[in-house]
Amino acid sequence: MVTALLFMLGLGAACGIMLSVASKVFYVYEDPRIAEVEAFMAGANCGGCGYTGCSAAAVAVVAGEAPPSVCIVADAEAAGNIAAIMGVDPGTAEPLLSYNTCRGGDRAPDKYYYMGINSCQALATLYGGKRECPVGCLGLGDCVRACAFDALKMGPHGYPVVDEVKCVGCGACERVCPKDIMEIKTMSQKLLHLNQYDDRIAPCQQTCPAEIDIPRYIYQIKSGDYEGAVNTIRERNPLLLSCGRVCPHPCENKCRRGIEDEPVSINQLKRFVADYEMNSGRRLPVSVAPSTGKKVAVIGGGPAGLSCAFFLRRLGHDVTIFDANPKLGGMIRYGIPEYRLPKEVLAWEIQGILDLGIDHKPNVMLGRDFDIGALMAAGYDSVFLGIGAWKDYTLRVEGENLEGCYTGINFLTNFALWQQEDGNEDRRPYVGNKCVVIGGGNTAIDCVRTLIRLGAEEVSIVYRRTRKEMPANEVEIVAAEHEGVKFTFLAAPTRVIGDEDGNVTGLEYLKMELGEPDASGRRRPVPIEGSETVMEIDMLITAIGQGPDVFFKDESKRLDEDLNITRWNTIDSEDPVALQSSIPYIFTGGDAATGADLVVSAIGAGRRAARSIHLYITGEEVKTPEKTLFTNNIPVSIFESVEGIEKSARTKMPELPVEDRIKSFVEADLVISEEEALYESNRCLQCCLTCYNKDVA
Amino acid sequence: MSEMGYFSIIISTIFVNNILLAKFLGNCPFLGTSKKMETAVGMAMAVVFVLVMAGAITWVIYHVFLVPFDLVYLRTIAFILVIASLVQFVELFLKKSIPALYAGLGIFLPLITTNCAVLGACVINIDEELSFIKSLVSSFGFAVGFGLALVLFAGVRERILLARVPKPLQDTSIGLVTAGIIALAFFSFKGMV
Amino acid sequence: MAKTITQEFTKGLWAEIPPFRLVLGLCPVLGVTTTMENGIGMGLATTFVLLCSNILVSALRNIIPPKVRIACFIIIIATFVIVVELVMQAYAYPLFLKLGLFIPLIVVNCIVLGRAEAFASKNGLLPSMADGLGIGIGFTLSLAALGAIREIFGTGTFFGASVFGPSFQPFTFMIQAPGAFVCLGLMLCIMNLFE
Repeated sequence: MVTALLFMLGLGAACGIMLSVASKVFYVYEDPRIAEVEAFMAGANCGGCGYTGCSAAAVAVVAGEAPPSVCIVADAEAAGNIAAIMGVDPGTAEPLLSYNTCRGGDRAPDKYYYMGINSCQALATLYGGKRECPVGCLGLGDCVRACAFDALKMGPHGYPVVDEVKCVGCGACERVCPKDIMEIKTMSQKLLHLNQYDDRIAPCQQTCPAEIDIPRYIYQIKSGDYEGAVNTIRERNPLLLSCGRVCPHPCENKCRRGIEDEPVSINQLKRFVADYEMNSGRRLPVSVAPSTGKKVAVIGGGPAGLSCAFFLRRLGHDVTIFDANPKLGGMIRYGIPEYRLPKEVLAWEIQGILDLGIDHKPNVMLGRDFDIGALMAAGYDSVFLGIGAWKDYTLRVEGENLEGCYTGINFLTNFALWQQEDGNEDRRPYVGNKCVVIGGGNTAIDCVRTLIRLGAEEVSIVYRRTRKEMPANEVEIVAAEHEGVKFTFLAAPTRVIGDEDGNVTGLEYLKMELGEPDASGRRRPVPIEGSETVMEIDMLITAIGQGPDVFFKDESKRLDEDLNITRWNTIDSEDPVALQSSIPYIFTGGDAATGADLVVSAIGAGRRAARSIHLYITGEEVKTPEKTLFTNNIPVSIFESVEGIEKSARTKMPELPVEDRIKSFVEADLVISEEEALYESNRCLQCCLTCYNKDVA
Repeated sequence: MSEMGYFSIIISTIFVNNILLAKFLGNCPFLGTSKKMETAVGMAMAVVFVLVMAGAITWVIYHVFLVPFDLVYLRTIAFILVIASLVQFVELFLKKSIPALYAGLGIFLPLITTNCAVLGACVINIDEELSFIKSLVSSFGFAVGFGLALVLFAGVRERILLARVPKPLQDTSIGLVTAGIIALAFFSFKGMV
Repeated sequence: MAKTITQEFTKGLWAEIPPFRLVLGLCPVLGVTTTMENGIGMGLATTFVLLCSNILVSALRNIIPPKVRIACFIIIIATFVIVVELVMQAYAYPLFLKLGLFIPLIVVNCIVLGRAEAFASKNGLLPSMADGLGIGIGFTLSLAALGAIREIFGTGTFFGASVFGPSFQPFTFMIQAPGAFVCLGLMLCIMNLFE
């Protein structure tokens, strides 16, 4: 008995001492969470989970490859504890998740049906598939059978549905699907995807410059999953509150319901869910990939810069935004007036982006306070130039520098700066009584509507073509008309007249008539000889377009030679998708690359640039995939007519009554109610590439 | 077995008395790690590595300590303690000193601690009263047999992943039936030694 | 967890019955179930170890330092396994010879270690006892069922008594290794059918 005890004691001590010495001598650093996770696992090292023992399973959990419930011996409580350790932690590795890219299923028309075959792969080999749709799901469920984790089910609509909780991203479904419907991607890979010719996407998503999965988020709204809808939008557009208010929604022009009926009010729905998130008082968590340790400088905190920073951050890079203004937002803060986009809303939205861990350096201007060389010296791996288009074009007529003459962006910015930073009535920017704004774009409309609110007695727009040709958003023009703006069409300014003190007193213009269509298809205005007319005015704003201000190029010796600038002063990038400038580590996007354009285009460009930067700094080739769609439409998806549509009225945008809104800068457009949102989401045909939901029609 | 030649021992332990399919030892990791070929190969290598070491050390413990002090009844507890410590020590050592080997093989080590194949093979060696060298050979054979069955099984399982298996038979159930069929194949080695 | 002692006991009989629901501890399940007698013997041996180790682990759960808990559990389990070994050698030597290797291997049966870690180390004495007993009896039942099926078809006997009469040609396949795998696989399949 004594020998037995002594022996066991000796053996135990020997083993214990050896192991404790070994654990000190052979110490290797490990993520502390691995030990925490392992503590909750059964420790039986049984291998039943498919991993090589409990510590391997813990490593997999921490790496995000295994779900917290991986241990088959430990109970649900342990899984809960492990999930708590992992949490919604921005530093966790991204899980691979399967998802189905086809929305067709049962509703897609069959070309032929061969009863004997019950396997997608066989059917695809024999006939290329039974569906009329060239890229759609065949619905025979090879993927469901391939899933070893019971995470795939054939859904009620005839296409597979993924149970994200059970999916471990093993990729079996992706491998068996002959149509490449099933994709296994991490969130980063999803964020990097650009629309392609062989994607299963509806015309609206093809048209959206930001490539938002519109049918998906409308479906989520329809099924009451507002948070899901917000997340769907955020995969493509971080500025949903702003876009929901100011986007001219090119997507709605391609809405399939719009062919036979009024299009779905897509943007109102976006605004509805965006406002829903803001009003819920809780920010939805946004996933961020593990840190890569790469640093990117984003110059310009406008929509392009914010979007680029947002996506780079989500891809795991460290981002710093350098901005010349005191606050972020760029043109959407200083160019878009308060009544269209309340700055409180914008601030909430931008804070959410910065909260992901993005640095912001305000009041520093490229070329004035720093140059690219300094950034590279500070260790940045790449630079995004999103400096926007802030330099107004001028009329180049006599007298346009008289007192009382302004340019569009300059006027809006000065007023916005005063309104947001100062607010002292004594220093309020000058406003005339008889004001004229030259131009037909959104800047011109913003100017006149601002002037109305500032109490100008008479505000008119002078435009050299007709109302039909005005590039401004239709709703904006209508709103300006309601608010009492006068329009003088077919008028080309020739001279600005001033008095002896140098104050503006009149505008001379030539009347025009429409001639032959020009290259852009618009009928070219031709001046009528001798039709000079003079308008009596005391304030003139020229808003005939704007381009980037590239003065910084002259300040920096390094950039002087290498950075190519186009003749429109935009930063030259040979490939409008890759957005890489002539200096490999500098990328661009937004107005700086294209000249003045839509907010949503800048957001899309920000994501494309983020993708290129990601490729560049991770050492991959910056290349645009061959099949990239980019603003084009897939021909097969564009219909001439749509069968069986029953007309249903589009939800009207609620707005403040004219008499209330022209007195203040309170937001003029309002959000639709929940019932209206549900009604509107039901109007969506849930289109895919070629099919749509005929039951809704 | 103690009167067999080395070659016979090898054949016997790999095929005839395959530790997985004939002795039913080490079935938990057999089903768990056979889902992927990569894992199966790693596991197989690790088992070879550990089993030979464990075979040696348990032989020493048994013949040097337990038999002379008349403590044979402590065999089970002593063996499991020694094997567990040994595996853990090897794991720590590999992780620090030979990370490449650890990445390929070391990660399977914890799985082996409580693998009954290891303890089982050691106990069999003792029961058969093999000499030190023979017990090393026998351990090696058992481990190779384990690896062989595991790798074969993983190959079949990768195919099963793509096959249409009736719902109730899926996963472990079909896995066991498949193992049965592989065992049937190994059955034909009976009588070779 | 607001489960009663009865619930802790009964869950082992169906909801978490090993090795069907908890696919663990397959080795003895396959190895010893050539006859029902062996199955029950192995099941009872495991139940004893499971019950005793659960009791001891539960009693010592606040004393054992968490870092070395697995090692402690193994020692506790190994101790009881030795007890079983010695008792069986003394009182049931024929059965001990039949079960042979699988008695010491209860040490590395994942079910025992799994219950110690997942249940006994977190719960009080009584629930742990109920859990150990429930899982153990469930395990015994499974082994007995598998043993019965294999014995009936493989040798044509039930508890040693002839079932089909002398003209029956037994399916020798069933008592051999491949039969064990196939039989367990099919039983799992039948369990799944009843879900």
